[in-house]
Amino acid sequence: MAENNNVLVIGAGLAGIEASLLLSNAGRKVYLVERNSYFGGTVIKSEEVFPNMECATCMIAPKQSQLLEDKNIELLTLTDVTDVQGDVGDFTVKLASRARYVSLVNCIGCGACFEPCPVSVDNEFEEGLMKRKAIFLACAGALPNAPAIDMDCCLRAKGEDCTACKDACMFDAISFEEKDEEKEIKVGAIIVATGYQLGDVSRFPEYGYGKIENVFHAFEFERLRASNGPTEGAIKTRDGREPKSIGLIHCVGRDAGGYCSQVCCMYLTKFACYAFDKVEGVEVHEFFQELSTPGKAGQKFLDEAKEKGVKLVRARGVELSGNGEGVRITYQDGKTGKDTVDVDMVVLAPCIEPNSGADALAKLLGIEPGDFGFFKTTEFDPVATKRAGIFVAGCNEGPKSMQDVVVQAEAAVAAVLNGSKADTAVRRQDPAQD
Amino acid sequence: MAKIGLYLCECGPNIADAIDLDRVAAEIEKDGKVAGIERHKLFCSADGKKFLAESIKKNGFERFVIAACSPKQHEGTFAEVASDVGLNPQMFQLVNIREQCAWTVPDKEQATGKALRFIRAAVTRVQYHQALEQKEIDCNPDVFVIGGGIAGIEVALRTAHKGRKVFLAEKGELGGMLKERGLLFPAMEPAGDFLGPRIDALRNNPQIELFENCKVKEVLGFFGSFVALLETQEGKEIELKAGSVVLATGAQAFNPKELAEYGYGKLDGVYTADEIEKRGVGKLLTESAKPVKSVAVIHCVGRDKLGYCSKMCCVNSMKIARQIREQSAETEVVELYRDLCLPGKGYDRFYKETEAKGVKFARFESVEVTGGDSGLTVKYKQPGGTGAELAVDMVVLSTGLAANPSNPELADMLSISVDESGFFVEEHAVLNPVSTMTEGVFIAGCARGPGDTRDTIVQASATAGKVLSSLVPGKRLQLETRTSEVSEKLCVGCGTCVTVCAYGATTLDESRHIAVVNEVLCRGCGNCASACPSGAAKHRHFTTRQLNQEVTEILK
Ligand SMILES: Cc1cc2nc3c(=O)[nH]c(=O)nc-3n(C[C@H](O)[C@H](O)[C@H](O)COP(=O)(O)OP(=O)(O)OC[C@H]3O[C@@H](n4cnc5c(N)ncnc54)[C@H](O)[C@@H]3O)c2cc1C
Ligand SMILES: Cc1cc2nc3c(=O)[nH]c(=O)nc-3n(C[C@H](O)[C@H](O)[C@H](O)COP(=O)(O)OP(=O)(O)OC[C@H]3O[C@@H](n4cnc5c(N)ncnc54)[C@H](O)[C@@H]3O)c2cc1C
Ligand code: SF4
Ligand code: SF4
Ligand code: SF4
Ligand code: SF4
Ligand code: SF4
Repeated sequence: MAENNNVLVIGAGLAGIEASLLLSNAGRKVYLVERNSYFGGTVIKSEEVFPNMECATCMIAPKQSQLLEDKNIELLTLTDVTDVQGDVGDFTVKLASRARYVSLVNCIGCGACFEPCPVSVDNEFEEGLMKRKAIFLACAGALPNAPAIDMDCCLRAKGEDCTACKDACMFDAISFEEKDEEKEIKVGAIIVATGYQLGDVSRFPEYGYGKIENVFHAFEFERLRASNGPTEGAIKTRDGREPKSIGLIHCVGRDAGGYCSQVCCMYLTKFACYAFDKVEGVEVHEFFQELSTPGKAGQKFLDEAKEKGVKLVRARGVELSGNGEGVRITYQDGKTGKDTVDVDMVVLAPCIEPNSGADALAKLLGIEPGDFGFFKTTEFDPVATKRAGIFVAGCNEGPKSMQDVVVQAEAAVAAVLNGSKADTAVRRQDPAQD
Repeated sequence: MAKIGLYLCECGPNIADAIDLDRVAAEIEKDGKVAGIERHKLFCSADGKKFLAESIKKNGFERFVIAACSPKQHEGTFAEVASDVGLNPQMFQLVNIREQCAWTVPDKEQATGKALRFIRAAVTRVQYHQALEQKEIDCNPDVFVIGGGIAGIEVALRTAHKGRKVFLAEKGELGGMLKERGLLFPAMEPAGDFLGPRIDALRNNPQIELFENCKVKEVLGFFGSFVALLETQEGKEIELKAGSVVLATGAQAFNPKELAEYGYGKLDGVYTADEIEKRGVGKLLTESAKPVKSVAVIHCVGRDKLGYCSKMCCVNSMKIARQIREQSAETEVVELYRDLCLPGKGYDRFYKETEAKGVKFARFESVEVTGGDSGLTVKYKQPGGTGAELAVDMVVLSTGLAANPSNPELADMLSISVDESGFFVEEHAVLNPVSTMTEGVFIAGCARGPGDTRDTIVQASATAGKVLSSLVPGKRLQLETRTSEVSEKLCVGCGTCVTVCAYGATTLDESRHIAVVNEVLCRGCGNCASACPSGAAKHRHFTTRQLNQEVTEILK
């Protein structure tokens, strides 16, 4: 039987985007499935990225536009994979797409429909730091540049006959009649690129997250710095003050989790740079256990932050407590015992965990969740799963920097293009088979 | 004069509300430079595109200007319409009156004025547009790999298939740094078990040609068509042709001789991790003159000198430490470390397992090894400044990885660069991590930076992904259309353009004393055209004439 050359890519973050573009370049038809209404993954939460402090959206947006124009790639947003049958070269995949209620063809992204919508809920993309409407775009610049209606909170779902958004749309882009859809596709190979989420820090009472007002987690801080975020890039406490001092806490949940998340030493150092750029005279303290900045660019990046004045404190047993509007950081310094520092805001670096639903997806795909729920690959073939024709790429395989994510995505492409013809010698010792 | 059409997009209310399009149309018509003006609610819609195509055909426009949104969003869309109606896709100009006027100038009067200037400039410019040809070349899908370590081996195995040959040149024997390893972390499997089958597969693959003990003397050419010259040990020259080049020249263990504080090369019993493994951990323990009762493993040797953390040496130290404990239970092993670098999902566990085997860990800020009659003394400063001392029988220096000294020579050959540490520089550190500034030249493994075997293998596969997806046998390579050229008549051969071109696309033709642009490599950035002092270098779609006319019109 002829092999099917089409490829399914699950997850449209950096890994999924890179893999899809390369596959298309090789002439493959790609179905890129994304469960959110927008694509780009977590990278688009960042204003700038280490190690060169380049603008994240300026790096990703051109790739996204290229992808949207690419005729070999079919991007399916608001879509889940519900079933996978068959074998390498001949998979049959069922997809379920939720209705967007907004036509991607007609909508030009003008945003005129937001204002009239009477519903206001927390914007998840903004980590709840600002509100959105029931018809919404995750953030300014999100792609595809068309909103979606969240039927979980739209008044129509409650039986009301609201048409405010539709009335405001000059392009006849909104249709309440749109239905959820199911479709079946045939592909020869699958790349799973479902990424990560941050661990829930409220599990650890010592950090007081959710109780102490000015304790933030890493994504919240990214959004504060983002020029398209809730404060348009101004770093502010929850009560709207410009912080005079910031504490950055490393390794939150590392001991409990049992692994190092690999990128937080670097991104906290990036946060220090954010603070120095945006807040004049700010003091930044980093409380770390071990500093992990491997590779040719890490040390330089850290040294630059040191030059800007970040104070690096080796600390164990960090505990946070409220201190007026600010936060008191108590820690063991390993030399003289307990010490404290008072700051206006604290940012926590939680563990990087496999994305929600990774377990269920693994089951559905017949691949193994491995250590800590990250997908398991063979030891020395870091994209191959135990099921032939299914490969993984990006942070669902383990925490990684963007660079490593791109590398792994390109590696997954090689595996797909090699097909079943991949050399046999390399499969000799194959821990994922056991 | 060519017949020019002007199209004004309302973009729903976006442009129509913010700019007085009636006035725009009236004034442009008065200028008398366009043969027709049409409006549409939304040119990018299916309906809009159809209207545009029909209007161009009906009116017989030879060029057109469309005033709408950002070229980033829809230049491609309208270029396609141009092609569809049989025009060269360069024969139009998209003016951004949405982002640059409607959305940024609140006053309607001013926004209209600004839009008018932009449109007039475009109408003037488009008259000077030249039809550019979309060129294609045949490409050679074969791969030339330099370096036969695990990176080079993996690239070869993953790219050699029907329709694609791989040539692999290794200056010595195959295997690189791995050939002298005992066990490999984290799986703790013999390196030979891992490497052996791969080398066999390499030798048995009819699509792979190996050139061991060979020196790379020269690489010429460009993406899709490189020519390499090799020299064998016997002085014989071999010529190879390939479409892409992969640099997999690896790295080497840092040599701590120059760092006096470790006494390496002077004191008996001080070894590098590399040496210990080459000799075999067990052998060293049993064959030393007196029993080895205590060992200190010192981390980060050379880290400050190298300027970076090598990532693999923390785990490698533990690998050695636990082997010592396993082979000689009464030997005390202390690891002196600065920071434990254990990134990713597997290494915290490796560390805990090492601790469970009885290996002790102590943090140091600075360290010195001295010798005496009774053995070695390791003096170190603890965090907080207090001193401490260990008397040991053996010291293992866990050194980092230093760049391969032959990198700069190869970088020169291929017009790419090395960083201050001597590693090859990526095209883009985040987005294009295995590509280089020279298209078709890739880097994999420790040649691009320190890392362990797993890192090396993913990068090698990534390189394979890039090669397999860009050079498909039988598929022709589409070249950039908007490129630069150098006028033979005007060029004085000063070489300015050669210095400013980041892609190695301009070279001096020594015999004719002029610069030439390689169309395959040129990405059309325009650096050469703006730097050329004699006006010989010219960008085909940004000619001085086009720019001059456009800017003059805007400033009127
Ligand atoms: C605070 C913070 C700052 C960082 N800063 C940097 C930095 O400066 N530089 C750097 O190099 N790295 C940085 N990183 C790391 C970087 O974010 C990751 O390397 C990168 O985003 C991972 O990309 P990905 O594609 O693997 O995953 P993701 O970005 O998580 O993308 C996965 C995509 O898959 C989708 N998806 C998930 N499950 C499913 C499913 N079942 N079906 C369909 N779709 C699904 C998701 O919606 C998402 O769009 C940072 C990380 C954090 C936490
Ligand atoms: C002491 C030590 C212990 C290690 N232990 C482990 C471990 O346990 N687990 C693990 O995962 N990793 C380990 N590593 C790391 C591992 O060795 C490297 O990640 C891996 O070998 C890198 O492979 P490579 O192909 O990039 O480079 P290399 O192995 O260095 O191979 C490069 C090859 O290129 C050849 N070459 C160089 N220049 C030229 C030229 N100009 N022309 C032609 N050929 C050229 C070289 O001769 C060499 O054969 C260890 C490293 C060291 C130093
Ligand atoms: S129908 Fe009403 S509630 Fe629902 S999205 Fe539209 S405006 Fe909002
Ligand atoms: S749905 Fe209509 S009003 Fe809303 S952004 Fe799209 S085009 Fe504008
Ligand atoms: S990267 Fe740094 S902060 Fe993150 S878990 Fe590892 S050591 Fe801790
Ligand atoms: S990996 Fe460990 S021993 Fe090696 S340089 Fe980094 S911190 Fe030092
Ligand atoms: S246009 Fe840019 S890439 Fe092309 S030759 Fe000139 S400098 Fe080089």
